[in-house]
Amino acid sequence: MRGNKIDLSAKQEPRFRWGFAVFVVLLLLAISFMLAGVISLFSGFDEGSLGSNVALISINGAIVGDDDSGYFFESVTSSADAVEMIEKADRNPGIKAIILEINSPGGSAVASEEIVNAVKKTNKTTVAWIREMGASGAYWVASSADYVVANRMSVTGSIGVVGSYLEFPGLLEEYNVTYRRLVSGKYKDIGSPYKEMTEEENEVFQQALDAMRDYFAGDVAKNRKMSRKDIDKVANGLFYLGAQAKDLGLVDEIGGKEEVTAYIEKKEGIKAEIAEYKKEKTLLDIFGEAAAKQSFFIGKGVGASFFDRKIISAISITA
Amino acid sequence: MKLDIPKERTFSATASLPKRIMAFLADMLIIATIMVPFGKILEGAMPKGLSIIEASMRLSSDYSGGLILMYFSISALAFLYFYLMESNMGQSIGKKIFSMHIVSDNGQLKGWQVAVRNLFLVPLFPFDLLVIVDPAFMLFTKTNQRLSEILSRTRVVQTYSLDLYGSNLPV
Repeated sequence: MRGNKIDLSAKQEPRFRWGFAVFVVLLLLAISFMLAGVISLFSGFDEGSLGSNVALISINGAIVGDDDSGYFFESVTSSADAVEMIEKADRNPGIKAIILEINSPGGSAVASEEIVNAVKKTNKTTVAWIREMGASGAYWVASSADYVVANRMSVTGSIGVVGSYLEFPGLLEEYNVTYRRLVSGKYKDIGSPYKEMTEEENEVFQQALDAMRDYFAGDVAKNRKMSRKDIDKVANGLFYLGAQAKDLGLVDEIGGKEEVTAYIEKKEGIKAEIAEYKKEKTLLDIFGEAAAKQSFFIGKGVGASFFDRKIISAISITA
Repeated sequence: MKLDIPKERTFSATASLPKRIMAFLADMLIIATIMVPFGKILEGAMPKGLSIIEASMRLSSDYSGGLILMYFSISALAFLYFYLMESNMGQSIGKKIFSMHIVSDNGQLKGWQVAVRNLFLVPLFPFDLLVIVDPAFMLFTKTNQRLSEILSRTRVVQTYSLDLYGSNLPV
């Protein structure tokens, strides 16, 4: 009883209210659930990956470099996000395989290649699962996986590069507008919509597109272990249904999620537990997106009162 | 002849260190139960197949923002637990189990006193230092008081009963 201060005034122990104590514990437990949910939602915690060993990453819609460039209602996949998710899954030693769930018509050649490189870099088993569409750049991504499964009616292939732009010198002429060409460097204004493309410029463009297509087709051939001759037969921009693609060697198996899972389970000797890996939106992203959509409609309304025509003047090169 | 002698009389004295430790552990068990949702998230996010140190390092680099939020939330909930219990009933569940309660040197126990005695749960400098300083004070003060208890002018006491046969029995 070292240093004990004894109080002999016979104070009773305060009355303990068990009902209140239980209420406090339950209240704090409820707050704890709410806080944990909010933090999990906005901090990217991957509660869904509890005990999972397979990561599922969606490549949905057009493949773009950034998803903040005005794709308000179109479904797009940003290569930056896709690469981040692939790298995240790759870092997790518990993840044995990565499924790329593809439903995309392709998109930017550069963005597609960024995803292709990330898929090739990973040490995990990779399986591409083409659902409705895995064409062009999206097929390029699929071909970089170890195994490709596609629905028999899916659209695949379309190996080629498109370069397009609008030309409207005739329209300018109609309105008596002159395009005054002042360039330093012969091809500096190549692709300008205000003048007709010359034969020479056309040739330059075509060579660039052919080079890109060669690189694309060459890489697909390497990925699919096909000869250059065989790939050239199919790399003509034509799309193929899943069943045709299987006969041409562009796809390994016809099927869906079951076939994908079965392949992984057999190869890795595991019972597949799939967790979706997706870029979590922060609270700021959600508010920003809502504000951007509002602004888009306001801007569209204001713009429509001045112009009744859409003029697009950018060259777009997609794979 | 009818004598009106009370059958027992209670008095309080400074709570012993082992009992206080036991009560604190009991409270920590309850707080750990409250924190289960956070534990589930961490369990899910923890990289698998690594040593606990490697996995923790990976986790902290991948989710640094979320972990900071979680740390503050857990501290706030623990603080709330002690504050609500002690300011309303003068004791937490752990203290109740081990027959202890808080008394104020100023008479009635006030809310600010309860807040100050639980400052060690605030995860900000310099309060976080109390996690080390407080137990050290308990060891070296005669009344087993933590520094934050001295500052808040509170003590944890144990209730004893004195029966007619003269033996002191903890209530």
